[in-house]
Amino acid sequence: MKEIKIAEQPWLSLHRTIRITVDGIRYRLFRASVTVAVIVVAVAFLMNILSESLIKRSVAANTRERIQNARLIYAWSAKLTSPGSLESVVADLANNPPESAIIQEIQGFGDFSDREMTELRQQAAEIAFVFSFFNGLDYAKRRSMIHTATGMGILNRLRTPAGREQFETALARIKSVHFDLPEEKLDALLEATPAVTVQLNKILTARGRAIAEINREVKNKDLLACLAEADHRFGDVIRQAGFVFDSEKLAPIIAVQAQRLIDTLHLEKSMEERPCRQLIAQQANILPADVNVIMMWDYLDSGRFADRYLERMTSAGLDVTGLDAERLVSLARGRKENTALNKAARLTVDAGRGFMGLGERLTWLLFVSMLVCGIGITNAMMMSVTERFNEIATLKCLGALDGFIMLMFVLESCFMGLVGGAIGALLGAIIGLGRVMAAFGVNFFSAIPVGDILLGMVVSVILGTLLAAVAAVVPSYKAARLAPMEAMRVE
Amino acid sequence: MAAVTAEQTNGQNSAVANGNGDRRVIIRTVGLKKTYMMKGVLTEALRGVDIEIFQGEFIAVMGPSGSGKSTFFNMIGALDSPSVGRVFIDEVDVAQLTAEELAYLRCHKIGYIFQSYNLIKYMTALENVTTPMAFGGVMPDQARERGMGILEIVGLKERWHHRPIEMSGGQQQRVAIARSLANNPSVLLCDEPTANLDLNTGQEILELLQRLNKEKGVTVICATHDHRMMNICDRLMWIRDGRIDRMADRSEVHIEVGTIE
Ligand SMILES: Nc1ncnc2c1ncn2[C@@H]1O[C@H](COP(=O)(O)OP(=O)(O)O)[C@@H](O)[C@H]1O
Ligand SMILES: [Mg+2]
Repeated sequence: MKEIKIAEQPWLSLHRTIRITVDGIRYRLFRASVTVAVIVVAVAFLMNILSESLIKRSVAANTRERIQNARLIYAWSAKLTSPGSLESVVADLANNPPESAIIQEIQGFGDFSDREMTELRQQAAEIAFVFSFFNGLDYAKRRSMIHTATGMGILNRLRTPAGREQFETALARIKSVHFDLPEEKLDALLEATPAVTVQLNKILTARGRAIAEINREVKNKDLLACLAEADHRFGDVIRQAGFVFDSEKLAPIIAVQAQRLIDTLHLEKSMEERPCRQLIAQQANILPADVNVIMMWDYLDSGRFADRYLERMTSAGLDVTGLDAERLVSLARGRKENTALNKAARLTVDAGRGFMGLGERLTWLLFVSMLVCGIGITNAMMMSVTERFNEIATLKCLGALDGFIMLMFVLESCFMGLVGGAIGALLGAIIGLGRVMAAFGVNFFSAIPVGDILLGMVVSVILGTLLAAVAAVVPSYKAARLAPMEAMRVE
Repeated sequence: MAAVTAEQTNGQNSAVANGNGDRRVIIRTVGLKKTYMMKGVLTEALRGVDIEIFQGEFIAVMGPSGSGKSTFFNMIGALDSPSVGRVFIDEVDVAQLTAEELAYLRCHKIGYIFQSYNLIKYMTALENVTTPMAFGGVMPDQARERGMGILEIVGLKERWHHRPIEMSGGQQQRVAIARSLANNPSVLLCDEPTANLDLNTGQEILELLQRLNKEKGVTVICATHDHRMMNICDRLMWIRDGRIDRMADRSEVHIEVGTIE
């Protein structure tokens, strides 16, 4: 007859463990789907916030560049009209890398050696620091330190013993403010201020001369009209005057933007004519007196309206050379795009701070939502364990090891975390995408960081699974420690 | 350790009286006591049980509900530890075993049959039967084959793919019996296996247990209220208030059958 010999129980294969777990989940599909729903909501929340902030960050970087490009024409027409101020030259010197066009241009105007230029840039950076320090103060503090001085006047005031004295006392008194430039550096800078001012003025004078030269060329014409030909002879004029004006890349862009600006202004002016106003009023079903420019641009988005508008312009005796319906629509769209750009720039000023660029409040909110989700999972798993007392005990009577029971429950939770995480990540990404696109407009599609969002989804799924696994530890341990004699109990 | 024999504990009805003195003792308890503490109330479920059960025996454990039958089964089935006393399964002290060894013992040496069948609801009949084999390390193909063989023994080969809810109580209990036989155990512990069944089905289950006992030589220990058990078992044991009230051979009981209860 058989003899009893006792050995160690082997571990059940992972494959078999997973099968038993999955069968169990399938059997309790309803309860499982409730748990999954909790995870879906939490992960969707996480992914929604994550995708929004990722897109915002990308849009912010994207818009900064696009806005700068879109505004090139304004920057250049300003530059060719006014030599600027001492302070604007300081800002140019402090904010641009040495190899940039603007620095080279300044070097040319000032006729400086490389060494002089390096020193001047260093000094400009320190002056810019002093300016930003005082600009950051509130009015009362600023007044107590430097009275009403502004710009280079600040440095000149600090050079007088009385002015310096006032600054030092006020700085010592106001504890909340720290001036980070070392004393000896400030001394050196103040010492050099007259020389620096001379150099800055030299630049301004040279610029002024260059502008006068260009003005001779422009004569009675409009500067904008000249800039529309910046890719031809007028570009050479600009260069000859001493400006660094790239003929390959910059000039064509300036020419196109100038033409657009001319056309835009022409159109906005055309609205003052009766026939044009009437057409818009008719379209909007309002009085001609109430018509405004924004309405005009809105309607010009359609080619058919543009055609009719051009007719009205002609009948009003306006010049329409170079304008057709297509051009009008394109101008309207360009304007819309610019508006969207400006809006995006406004909306993304806060992008990229705090944990993963989420900002402190959202980080905290996210943490709480994860905590709530974790508790939800723990609760669901506790109920699952309680419901299955009999099953667990029976499995133990059949020879299941504690580790198997533990693994079974942790796996169950992990599966739900995986499924819930995947659904949640997808849902969150879609909602986030939708929300951001609704806010910024569709012309930011190219700014969607697809790779980052996919990575974010993977991270969210992993996080959801991990959260579910951690939340299941306590209930699983409870299940594993259950006494097998519970199986004998009859409900 | 003190070797306490059946003669010393109840002075009658021992294996010797059966003419089976050379048979092996498979389960032996010494001074078994169990007290439960519930809500500050101390319940003495077992108050000192000493018994020897021989290999191949069919023992019926009878007693009113609450008398301690299930508690006794938990002790001899290595499902719970006694407050006082010892349980030897094939002369191995259960208290000395590690958790892994206990799992091995429950998996290979003892088959459990419960009043409420306790089948795993999401598994088919065959999966229920093969699960203890999987725990014991049997390869899936082999387990399948053996499982089908056992299902055939209990007469449910055709229903191997049915889940518990698709089967009647009697069929479920037969699957449970098949499952308890999965790893060729030496002992079958049945806690009121027919209590939830009607008379005919109960009879079938009892006959199945008797057949297994006779043909396979499995030791069957069966708690029951069912008087038909007396026609089947070798020995009867009455428990009352956590103590062995009396022990009797079947032959003796038949003589006095009219006087029982
Ligand atoms: N887990 C437990 N906790 C507390 N008391 C229990 C427990 N199990 C059984 N008892 C008590 O022990 C006594 C014997 O119970 P039990 O062994 O289940 O009897 P039977 O199976 O013969 O009906 C009863 O009084 C019961 O209330
Ligand atoms: Mg009982």
